[in-house]
Amino acid sequence: MMRRIRGPIRFLSMTYSPRPRLCSADCLAVIPARDEAATVAAVVAGVREALGCAVLVVDDASTDMTVARAREAGAQALRLPLCLGAWGATQAGIRFARRHGYSFVISLDADGQHVPASLPVLFASQASSGANVTIGTCVERLSRAKRIAWRYLRALTGLGLADFTSGLRLYDARAIEILAGPEASLLDFQDVGVLMLLAKNGLTIEETPVPMLPRREGHSRVFASWPVVARYLLHTTVLCIAQIDTGRRHAPPLAAGTAAKC
Amino acid sequence: MLTGQITSAILGIVLAGAIMFLVRRDHLHGPFALWWFGVAAATFVLGVFPSVVEWLGHVTGIAYAPVLPIIVGLSLILIRLLKLDVDRSKQERRIRRLTQKLAILEQELDSKRGTPATRPDIDDDAEA
Repeated sequence: MMRRIRGPIRFLSMTYSPRPRLCSADCLAVIPARDEAATVAAVVAGVREALGCAVLVVDDASTDMTVARAREAGAQALRLPLCLGAWGATQAGIRFARRHGYSFVISLDADGQHVPASLPVLFASQASSGANVTIGTCVERLSRAKRIAWRYLRALTGLGLADFTSGLRLYDARAIEILAGPEASLLDFQDVGVLMLLAKNGLTIEETPVPMLPRREGHSRVFASWPVVARYLLHTTVLCIAQIDTGRRHAPPLAAGTAAKC
Repeated sequence: MLTGQITSAILGIVLAGAIMFLVRRDHLHGPFALWWFGVAAATFVLGVFPSVVEWLGHVTGIAYAPVLPIIVGLSLILIRLLKLDVDRSKQERRIRRLTQKLAILEQELDSKRGTPATRPDIDDDAEA
């Protein structure tokens, strides 16, 4: 799994540029954003150009012009009156997608670290693997702290993933149905809790390497400072202990890489 | 100089009275009122008749009876705290889902009307 993900990413980014095989009406791009007025318009425009699908910016109680910029760039926008965090915003987008009958949701960050041109890679990967969730990972970009944290989480959860927090994900209809439900509403981050919930329901999770850029503005919400990281790991550990059997129960299909569609 | 019995009676009556006052004034609702009504009754009885504690200690076989209400009280407080956090989690879930639904409905309303809210810069929901 790891060896596969460490593949030649630059090579991939140059050769992979097929338009996704699905109809753009089937997919909604969900971009959770908090105070990202500086970058959100470029991200929206990039996604519209790369995928041609509807774009929904979920404004997580921003105090700047995020919504206005997003609408100017041609996105629909949800304005959350209370700050719910990155996952709460993403879930709002997923619930919107479910309500409006979209069969795929692609989520990406509003800070411009995900290259819109690489989005079709996720669709290509999904088309070949049939996974319920496809995560775009950039292993090269992970800091030392993250590598250590992820090794710990791999051991703890039994999920064989290289990057747990990547916000670049493609969810299919089954994943949307599960993640829109109340069970996912108390999760604080989109990472381990969400992935364990999906694994618990027998969904397949795949990773695919994509190129990423350093953030232009702002910084990681999870990896902001050491106390924050410690708190995050502590929370996640408790969550994992409460669900200790989840990942392992479904370890074989996850590790096998090309599991059959559920 | 107060005797121990009078002190405990005063404490019991004041606490029970305060709880009853709050229940009667409708500051505590439904199941909370029932719970606190029980607590008020217990503090009243134990305060006014401390010999009940001796009797309970004798019945339950605890050699040092005064420790009994402390243990029972602490256990009840812990259970109450646990219940409180469970309820808080439930409420948090509801608030989050309501917030999301509100945003979705607002967006749908805007798109039906064809125009976004007339004054999007005014947001009286924003947290201080």
